[in-house]
Amino acid sequence: MTEEPPVSRRSGLSRRSFLQRGAAAAVALPGLTALLDACSSASSSGSTSSALQIATPATPVKWPIYSGNAPIASGLEPEMNATLNLYNYVDYIDPNALKSFEKKYAKYNVKVSVTTYESTDEALAKIRSGTIPLDIELGLSYDQIGKMVQGRLIQPLNHSYIPNHANVWDAFTNPFYDVGWQYTVPYTVYTTGIAWRDDKVSTNIPALPNPYSVLWDTQYARQVSVLDDARTCMGMVLLKNGLDINTHSTKDLALVLQQLKALNAATQPKVNVTDYQDVPTGVVSVCQAWSGDAINMISYMPTGQSPKVLRYWFPPDGKGEVDNDLMVILKSSKAPVMAHLFVNHMLDYNVALKNFGAIGYQPPQTRLNVADLVSSGFIPANLSTAIVQPEWFNVGYRILELPPAVDAEWQAVWQEFKAGAH
Amino acid sequence: MARPGGRSKALWPTLALPGVAWLFVLFLIPLYVVLAIAFGTLDPIFRSPVPVWNPLQWNFSQAQYVLTHIVGANGFYGPPILRTAEFVVIASALCLLIAYPVAYYVARYGGKRRGLLLVLLIAPFWISYMMRMLAWVNLLQTDGWVNKALSLGGLFPVDINWLNGRPLTVLFGLVYGYVPYMILPLYAGLDRIQPSLLEAARDLGASKWQTFRRVTLPMSKPAIIAGLLIVSLPMVGDYFTNDLLSGSPNTAMFGNLINNAISSPETTAQGATFVILMFVVLLAPMLYYVRSTRAEEGT
Repeated sequence: MTEEPPVSRRSGLSRRSFLQRGAAAAVALPGLTALLDACSSASSSGSTSSALQIATPATPVKWPIYSGNAPIASGLEPEMNATLNLYNYVDYIDPNALKSFEKKYAKYNVKVSVTTYESTDEALAKIRSGTIPLDIELGLSYDQIGKMVQGRLIQPLNHSYIPNHANVWDAFTNPFYDVGWQYTVPYTVYTTGIAWRDDKVSTNIPALPNPYSVLWDTQYARQVSVLDDARTCMGMVLLKNGLDINTHSTKDLALVLQQLKALNAATQPKVNVTDYQDVPTGVVSVCQAWSGDAINMISYMPTGQSPKVLRYWFPPDGKGEVDNDLMVILKSSKAPVMAHLFVNHMLDYNVALKNFGAIGYQPPQTRLNVADLVSSGFIPANLSTAIVQPEWFNVGYRILELPPAVDAEWQAVWQEFKAGAH
Repeated sequence: MARPGGRSKALWPTLALPGVAWLFVLFLIPLYVVLAIAFGTLDPIFRSPVPVWNPLQWNFSQAQYVLTHIVGANGFYGPPILRTAEFVVIASALCLLIAYPVAYYVARYGGKRRGLLLVLLIAPFWISYMMRMLAWVNLLQTDGWVNKALSLGGLFPVDINWLNGRPLTVLFGLVYGYVPYMILPLYAGLDRIQPSLLEAARDLGASKWQTFRRVTLPMSKPAIIAGLLIVSLPMVGDYFTNDLLSGSPNTAMFGNLINNAISSPETTAQGATFVILMFVVLLAPMLYYVRSTRAEEGT
């Protein structure tokens, strides 16, 4: 009986098999790439022009009304049985505002639902993909408007449906990012400053020659946080050094990187957007914060601890970061008339005031008076500095869109900071 | 005359077809998509990543940026990568130290309660990883239950801020989150060891410790390797634990580098490059595992 040859314990690939499989892969690859290419061109829309138009206060932009994207006609009846889908940040609208709208237009059987996003970049990607039926986006920042308009993602507004726009500050009648408010209405206004608990921070922050420097103070090591937003955080570093918060200068950005590295080394800050919880609960003692979050901190104070310990600083002359969020109606809206009416509803003074109470972020309503807000107890006196003044939008610094090459430089600095460089 | 086994030649490839299709659709194609994004371009208006499917048109600038910033004077990606290796090795070792006695007890001494013990071991899987970590955020607050326990109900002043960027807290979170994944493969391996082998060792004069060291431990080696792989591979890409329990760039891990890169559309290609890098690096232990189990089956 002939012996069987010994079986190799290593059943490796033979040269013939490897060559056969490699040849098969080489034949299949072009087919795969063609298939994937066809799939991607059938899906989300790409941009329609090759350059991004950037709006600045010095070069305001009146956006064109593109053919195929005209505003809706005046005098139309609202849609029956519509479900308005709002796209918004988490907890950034008062649920009662939705209910009051549904009640007001009950005869049209309108329903309002909310889908949330974590960032405007995520929102933009989802809107472009068209996978979710959406009508209105809230919380859009004005540095995204150019992309939204030029990408034909939002529709121009018919002002006849939005008479409550007369309630908003004059600054938003002809904002530089949307002259003639063709596509946008303002939703909230806010500033970016420093928030802290004065029972945990002994430094008199407003009295410092440069209050931003408290975030680098080593006595507060591991008690500091900064906002997880590249433009906001890096803008703060630029302001700290008296520089333009929309700088295109490589030298300025190198300084920002150096100072962010120094921040990592000095106080090992957290980088997040949960300051409104972290400060009240004592996870951090001092942080960079938006004014709306500072007001929201009141709700997160632990039981038995007074919100009177909360403080917020913003330059008293208004020369700090000032911003506003927007409401826009998406081009894909299936109920554009009802969407216009919802936008108008949110600009109603009483609805806007209640929304302010619910979300902490101030609406730019002309009837809102700083003194009244404090004297009525709506905002506690210790957080009166978180109330946004209209005149600050004349002197404050706005975060503007950057050209792609400059934006890439900013991102490189931010990635290096977030990787823990120091 | 028909060849014996002629039918079986077509049968087994046919049975393997669903698995191959699954592998193709859910692994190979997504992997190619990652490559297409890593070596793709950017939309000029939206600054979002545009995948390029044809390899002849691939653009390697973003990938080059990542690779040239890992080591050297500009190697700021290096420290988080090294830190991830440290965290993964330490956390995996701790998982093993905790999981092995638990799995050993259940396998060898579980007896009639083995089923109940297994259910209790699997119970953490019923709650999502995110919820378990969120629960710990609450417990680790300065006035949370952990500090209260350490202060013995207020007898001693304990004011530790666990959530202010401590590597120890991140390690603890990783161990807590992944230890259930270590227990089950260890249990399965230990359960397969025949009791007769252990009895034979004792009959031949080996002590309990010697039996464990010379019989049980070597025979549980495949299970240990499997457990370490199941735990350490996802740990490498974990970003959530650090984000939730620390939030500081000083404890950033490899998963955070990926998350940070894809959070901004302009740098998504860098995130895709990190994914490819992770895949290539982790391929080595996977191949070692496949080779070592083949060797075991061959003996």
